[in-house]
Amino acid sequence: MYLKQRVVENRLIGHPSQGIYKLVLSGQISKTAQPGQFLHIQVSATQDPLLRRPLSIAGINRVKEEVTIYYKVVGRGTDLLTRFKENDYISVLGPLGTGFTIPQKGELLLIAGGIGVFPLYSLIQAVDREQVKIHLFWGGENIDFLESADLKYILNTGVNLKISTMDGSLGHQGLVTDLLQAGIRDSGFADLNHNHLLAAAACGPKGMLKAAAEICLKNNIPLEVSLEERMACGIGACLGCVCTVKGEDGNLKRKRVCKEGPVLKAEEVVWDAKS
Amino acid sequence: MQKVDMTTELAGMKLRNPILTSSGTYGFGEEYAPYCPVSFLGGITVKGITPLPRLGNPVPRLAETPSGLLNSVGLENPGLEEFKKSYLPKLESLDTAVIVNISGFSLDDYALMAAAFQKDSCIAALEVNISCPNIKHGGMAFGTNPKSAEEVITVVRKNTNLPVIAKLSPNVTDIGEMARAVESGGADGISLINTLLGMSIDIHTQKPLLANKMGGLSGPAIRPVAVRMVYQVYEAVNLPIIGMGGISTWQDAIEFMLAGASAVSLGTVNFVNPMAPVDILSGMEEYCLKKGYGSVRELVGLAH
Repeated sequence: MYLKQRVVENRLIGHPSQGIYKLVLSGQISKTAQPGQFLHIQVSATQDPLLRRPLSIAGINRVKEEVTIYYKVVGRGTDLLTRFKENDYISVLGPLGTGFTIPQKGELLLIAGGIGVFPLYSLIQAVDREQVKIHLFWGGENIDFLESADLKYILNTGVNLKISTMDGSLGHQGLVTDLLQAGIRDSGFADLNHNHLLAAAACGPKGMLKAAAEICLKNNIPLEVSLEERMACGIGACLGCVCTVKGEDGNLKRKRVCKEGPVLKAEEVVWDAKS
Repeated sequence: MQKVDMTTELAGMKLRNPILTSSGTYGFGEEYAPYCPVSFLGGITVKGITPLPRLGNPVPRLAETPSGLLNSVGLENPGLEEFKKSYLPKLESLDTAVIVNISGFSLDDYALMAAAFQKDSCIAALEVNISCPNIKHGGMAFGTNPKSAEEVITVVRKNTNLPVIAKLSPNVTDIGEMARAVESGGADGISLINTLLGMSIDIHTQKPLLANKMGGLSGPAIRPVAVRMVYQVYEAVNLPIIGMGGISTWQDAIEFMLAGASAVSLGTVNFVNPMAPVDILSGMEEYCLKKGYGSVRELVGLAH
């Protein structure tokens, strides 16, 4: 869909130094959006910057007809996005791409690096919590970042949260994938796994995704990863945002992060594609 | 209200209007269908096809620049056999003219590609890519030397009965010379411009942003270069021109027609505004109406 969506709110949350904003849009998109899909947002009506910005959906409220996005100001595009005020209209393409599988039963492991936690928020909301227990392993730079990325929201969801920071200001000091490894080792996941009741989803930097993929593969846990790539069209036409995958015949193939992705099965992704 | 005749004819193709979409920006026609029905378009030009499938270049393939976009997709495509099997049947059903863009790495490749498409299919014309900046051999190498450009077009002309459109590279000193070369080779039309070779460097990593280092620049940034080249080619040859390069608004489209284009092609703008063809068409029609033209064809070359 190609639509004008009304801005309900667009404000800085947390520490100004972190530059993380929450944007709530009202309109049709909420009706069909799925966790893991993204919106392609036009930040400027002038021709510079030229392209739309792809941003993951972090919340879907079909009753209020709203979708929520969190974004961190990293450049001119996201800086321009901060200028939209309540009741302004934004040109949005979406919802786009293929999202997460929503597990119906058992336990779900979520692995997030930094702002990669945002698309997982929508997955947490969509899961039937009576049937599925969620464990979130979340790593960030420091406590300021985690608080600014809506740690309070995560605490309110009641998921089993394990935190790591690079500087040790909150939780385990080190990598989030260390926590994942320890979590799998110390839990009774193996039995669940045997009965196909264990699944995992991850979003974050490529290095983290690759490490999470190796851990999950070793433990036979099906993992879905939400990928990021520079995009132009966002709908599968330009082939700008491809990811290399291993096809069923063993040959290398491309998938479009914007179309077949952004969520792909970890086992098919070729992490160190050179060509 | 009096209607303006928006139909046009070029290189043996009858088009419902002069708006086409550019190869590599519009997939195989189905991606944009939910946003802009193809029946609004004069025609579409599909992604460049090569004899064998190609994975294309590694990522990053894209870099945004001021009012522009660098790409180095590197002709990723399913190859001739798969294209004919899986994509051509879907193109048959499209309510618009379909131009197939062909590419190769040798004269034999171009001969093979041309022979694979004849008038008995749904294809309206072949666009010959002799100007891709993103592959190491062939592509642009053919399109920057008048002699080899003429040879490629001669070979394609011999092997197909479809209209042959030569897509020219702007990465040359004298675009008029290139246009004359493809005219001698037997082209029925010329499309220009392909992307301008460019580069962007990440000042933090201190390395080129594109994995392929260099890429093709498109978007509004290149429009004045494209308008100039269309103007020059219009004076150099007697072939109809499909003008492209950074067209974003109906005003831009009119500018290309005044420079000498019989039709215009939209590329990068689709990424920003998928409804652009519809907006541009209605703007062009209104312009003709206000200026008192009964047919959009009357605009071609008026700037000369």
